[in-house]
Amino acid sequence: MSREVWCIVEHRRGQLDTDSLQLFGAARRLDGEAVAVVCGDEVEELAERVSGQCDRVISLSNSALASFTPDGYAQAIVPLALERQPAAILALHSHFLGRDLAPVLASRLGTGLISDCIDVEWRTGFVGKRLVYRRKLIATQRSIEPGVQVATCQRGAFVVPESTGLGAEVEVLPIEIDAAAIRWEVGAFDEAEVVAGDITEADVIVAAGRGVGSKENLDLVQRLAKAIGGTLAASRPLVDHGWLPRGLQVGSSGKTVRPRLYLALGISGAIQHVVGMRDSDVIVAINKDPRAPIFEYADYGVVADLMEIIGPLTDEVEALQG
Amino acid sequence: MRIAVLMKAVVEPESRIELGTDGEVQRANFRYELNEYDLYAVEEGIRMAELYEAEVTVVSAGPEEAVQSLRKGLAMGATDAIFIPVEESMGDAFLSATVLAAALKPIQPDLVLAGVESNDLGGSQVGVLVAEQLGYVAATMAISVQVGNDGVLNVRRELEGGNFVEVNLQMPAVLTIQTGLNEPRYPSLKGIMAAKRKDLVRLELSSLDLSGSQLVETIEYSYPPQRERAQMLEGNSEAIAGELVSLLREKEKVL
Repeated sequence: MSREVWCIVEHRRGQLDTDSLQLFGAARRLDGEAVAVVCGDEVEELAERVSGQCDRVISLSNSALASFTPDGYAQAIVPLALERQPAAILALHSHFLGRDLAPVLASRLGTGLISDCIDVEWRTGFVGKRLVYRRKLIATQRSIEPGVQVATCQRGAFVVPESTGLGAEVEVLPIEIDAAAIRWEVGAFDEAEVVAGDITEADVIVAAGRGVGSKENLDLVQRLAKAIGGTLAASRPLVDHGWLPRGLQVGSSGKTVRPRLYLALGISGAIQHVVGMRDSDVIVAINKDPRAPIFEYADYGVVADLMEIIGPLTDEVEALQG
Repeated sequence: MRIAVLMKAVVEPESRIELGTDGEVQRANFRYELNEYDLYAVEEGIRMAELYEAEVTVVSAGPEEAVQSLRKGLAMGATDAIFIPVEESMGDAFLSATVLAAALKPIQPDLVLAGVESNDLGGSQVGVLVAEQLGYVAATMAISVQVGNDGVLNVRRELEGGNFVEVNLQMPAVLTIQTGLNEPRYPSLKGIMAAKRKDLVRLELSSLDLSGSQLVETIEYSYPPQRERAQMLEGNSEAIAGELVSLLREKEKVL
């Protein structure tokens, strides 16, 4: 068994998902050699780009890998992993590599998968820690089968190692892909709708959640956002209801934001939302449920009915701006 | 066409989640409900059945409480149901997938739908693992699904950052369903009455031809480290508003 920990680099349409560099931090936790695995079509430049932060890079290029498909990526990775026997293969718990690919890799390598890990280590075997029961507990899980281990890592759980300044060795491997065995036919990409005020650039965000109660009440939130000089954002349920455009959604299936001030209004704090805002400088949560998980992330909390407090709060802010 | 929908009884968020003196989770405190994501999968299955004259089988492997979830699926309009009792304390996603795949094999569904993940454990693996075991193609995070004449599914998938991608795949297939692609119906009284006459087949684990067992075990539970507590502001609305604004302005300097 080698000490290699393969970190599958995530990219989409030429854009590197820089969170996937955090996997190198997870490889360090495993005392391993952080090996970036870059799959795609003509990915040499991407491979060079990540080589400053890891110990080695394996670049796997083939025109059949131009778009991500689980079958294509598995064809590129599984035979190579069986031959070289890395200690572990890590991916982000993302929509493509985490959800579509990781279970396929684990299944074809005959091993278990520990997903959405916040920590990884070796004990007697591979161990991953993950949050369960809505983050009320941490489960420490051990993979039973020896051999190549597979795990996915939560975004933000590991730290990108400092750049060495030196480019690690890039190994460009020719690979054969049987394009006929790829069962996904990838069609159109839809970029996020452009909405007025990009929430990722905002200094102050006023975010509304289910606790707002009705579409009409959003006008009051909008008024507060305007008074405070902030940008309106939303948690997923409001977008699902069609009350606000998807471009305003904060969270794992929306945007990640880091404003100086984040006001969470009537947002319970499901993990899918929290991962998109927890790095904000100052977080204020207003929610009528004192047990709402959002309070665990807030600097200031108010247990109250949003509709009772939003009026006085807006008045207070307006008075300030005078 | 036959559609199968995977349903899981998950631990209610309001349940008391505590560790005993032996470090074990106090499962006696658990109450169960249908996984919210699966509700969208059931609704999608029933809508497709109405459009394409399909039969819908709802399937669950888990605690006895799952029977209630299956009955709800039947009341919403599913044709029949399969229940495999499995103790939650045993097993992992791989075993769940193995059990579900073994139960699905004899009915050979053209399409298997599942929620994108479970609310309680959130591994988001079972759907894809079932596909691997049945030899089906899978796609996760579906936000819309259309069936073509030739058995090709056109699936719109959700990606991070508010982006989407379309994928075409040939049935038989497994899709995991994201919330928001439909509005799950409430079972009607007529539906609830009709559900009582529908088949709910109980399969014992021992009767299934299982090709594998558990691959991941939980060796320890612990409480997450306490975060620094939020400063809670109290009083009447006007007092809170005043205090909050002055804190944000003078202490945090963000206003």
